[in-house]
Amino acid sequence: MRRLPTGRRVPSGETGARFPNFDALDQVDAWDPATAATVVGRLARQPDLRFFTPAEEATAGALLDRLLAQDGPPGEPKVPVLQMVDARLAEAQTDGWRYHDMPEDGDAWRATLAALDRDAADEYEADSFADLTCDRQKRLVRAVQDLHGKPWHGLPAAHVWSLWTRYACTAFYARPYAWNEIGFPGPAYPRGYARLGIGLREPFEEADADPTADPADRKGTG
Amino acid sequence: MSGPVRSRLREAAGTLCLTASPQRAIRERNASAWLLPEDGARFDHRLVEGMRRFDDTDEVDLVVVGCGAGGATLTQRMAHAGWSVVCLEAGPFWDPDTHWVSDEAGSHHLYWTEPRVISGTDPVPMGSNNSGRGVGGSTVHFAGFVPRFHPSDFSTFTDDGVGADWPIRYEDLRPSYERIEQELPVAGQYWPWGDPHPYPYAPHPVGGNGEILLRGAAALGIRARVGPVAITNGRFGNRPHCIYRGFCLQGCKVNAKASTLITHVPDALAHGAEIRTQAMAVAVETDAEGRRAIGVRYLRNGREHLQRARTVAVAGYSVETPRLLLNSANRRFPDGLCNDHDQVGRYLMVQGAPQTAGRFEEEIRAYKAPPPEVTSEDFYETDPTNGFKRGYAIQTVSPLPITWAEHVAAQGHWGHDLRRYMQDYIHWATLGALCELLPQPGNRVTLSDEKDRHGLPVADFSYSQCDNDRAVIRAARATMERILRAAGATEVITIERYAHLVGGCRMAAGPEQGVVDADLRTFAVPNLLITDGSVLPTQGSANPALTIMAVVDRAARRLADGARSGLRSPYERSLP
Repeated sequence: MRRLPTGRRVPSGETGARFPNFDALDQVDAWDPATAATVVGRLARQPDLRFFTPAEEATAGALLDRLLAQDGPPGEPKVPVLQMVDARLAEAQTDGWRYHDMPEDGDAWRATLAALDRDAADEYEADSFADLTCDRQKRLVRAVQDLHGKPWHGLPAAHVWSLWTRYACTAFYARPYAWNEIGFPGPAYPRGYARLGIGLREPFEEADADPTADPADRKGTG
Repeated sequence: MSGPVRSRLREAAGTLCLTASPQRAIRERNASAWLLPEDGARFDHRLVEGMRRFDDTDEVDLVVVGCGAGGATLTQRMAHAGWSVVCLEAGPFWDPDTHWVSDEAGSHHLYWTEPRVISGTDPVPMGSNNSGRGVGGSTVHFAGFVPRFHPSDFSTFTDDGVGADWPIRYEDLRPSYERIEQELPVAGQYWPWGDPHPYPYAPHPVGGNGEILLRGAAALGIRARVGPVAITNGRFGNRPHCIYRGFCLQGCKVNAKASTLITHVPDALAHGAEIRTQAMAVAVETDAEGRRAIGVRYLRNGREHLQRARTVAVAGYSVETPRLLLNSANRRFPDGLCNDHDQVGRYLMVQGAPQTAGRFEEEIRAYKAPPPEVTSEDFYETDPTNGFKRGYAIQTVSPLPITWAEHVAAQGHWGHDLRRYMQDYIHWATLGALCELLPQPGNRVTLSDEKDRHGLPVADFSYSQCDNDRAVIRAARATMERILRAAGATEVITIERYAHLVGGCRMAAGPEQGVVDADLRTFAVPNLLITDGSVLPTQGSANPALTIMAVVDRAARRLADGARSGLRSPYERSLP
């Protein structure tokens, strides 16, 4: 198969310092057809937004970029998490449950995005959360996180946090871009793995270029 | 000969006897593994195309609701015994080749994702680790980890004053455990805990995550063993060897990991059972007086049908089974079918499943090999020196990137911090505990005001922990942190979560304490059975699938043995 024009690195944010030459898509020929169609199809153009209103689009886009640190310069390519979340909500593809003190996921997203805009107006007299600087957006997001179980605009902050991060992580880490950043080879059928055990690598797995880099003690820094 | 040498010889002899025994008896009992294709395809579509099809007006011997661990096992057993069986399944008939992918996000459709409400002080998220859909049910995406319950699990109330006593003993289930372990089949080291026993297949090779648990446990003098997993190690019928690709929880495209789709459904179809998919059960119908079940009403292709049957078995698992009974209220049972004593939906249990991950400078690459591979049950039983009753087991778990990211985010990491943690993915080894949480009447399923797309009230699952629960979880967490530190971890993080479901329609000695008797017949309606995990009165610290299949195997034998004696009420049988 011709090499897919995906690039090796996760666009924006991080630099791909740990696995600089690794690309999970190099192995696409070794994947079964059903899996390859699913993963490669995910790289295709995303559907147009159907769920979010323009005001929600602006706020959701900014919120998701902060949660996932997709804060490269304007115009730099990035994982289209906003489009992926919008598609999921439009199709009501939930995890199959909701907290009794939260609305169904779609309504919960609308309510919490509006609440972020209210916080932006109250704290900084802005029309939209999206109009704030990155630092101010992060401050408002952190304020929600710091509430833990306490209510935030009538909803339990911990359940709001769970909703946001579940949707954000599920979209972002579904993409080969993100796998490349973390050294995960993705699909493994029908090939499988032959080298099991600590420190063992398949020929197509790449060693971590900086194995001593420990992310500890940076919690909650955004 | 010294004691340890003698016991090792006994273990070796038991293992040899089992691994070298001919498979003829297994094949005669259940030929599923031999009915799978030999040409590399994962399911023989001719079995479905040529499937016997009944008419709604045919009064079949048995209609089963749900084709998961319990429902598929019962369907196979009764079809094999010559009964005419229709199994109604809400989801699709999976084709592993085309419907399943070796990808995390692409496997969302394997879970039961219709709406449910969760409440209580410690609400339990549903979905990927506890609710299946389609033929095979949650065995399609279970990890295949199949330890037995311990003998002590059957008498926790008598022994410790907590939980409940089962109306059967461990010894009643032992032959069923042995049969199911052979049919899955199970690979693992000789098991030293509970009722010590060998497994029919040798343990699988261990991945990086498993090596960490073995290393840490050895340093602390904690016993750990490899297995038991329901994953072929060597050939079994036409089931191939595992390829260690790590996507066990996304449906096994290899046919190496057991799911009832490949372990029981092929033989059921070959013996004339019909598995009617995309059929959503609406209610169990009874005669006008509510004395006996006459069939199951269900929705299919937008139309409502009634499949008539002489016997009905409900196997929708711990949330959908109570929901179906509550939704089946009628004049005789105004509060829900079989709910005379307000037992339906109660004593629902989950296991506390904290996950502790440790950071190692070495590359662990936990995504290779079966996610749960190595375990210790040294802390399973009540220890009088602890401040709590019952205990926990420790296993390896190996979250794939999305699951791992959700866990890291749940710990409060986001933005650049989250991305940095995630880049460190291959350096983390993760252990998970299964903590026995006690059955409580208030942990239950009720009907919510919300309705699903069929117009049926959805389940509200309320869950709250008690003090003993919290103490067990704390202890498990401390032990996992100790093991990882002993293995050389430079940092450990723990996240709180739950795993598995059992209870909700428990078996008991009488109708005031539960919904079904030891043979899984409901006390209220003698020709209605419940044959899934909801009948378990306690849950131990073991993954429940094997025990669910074992209690159904036992009930199926009792049902088949009693077939010629006609309809019997449990009340009559208990008379001298």
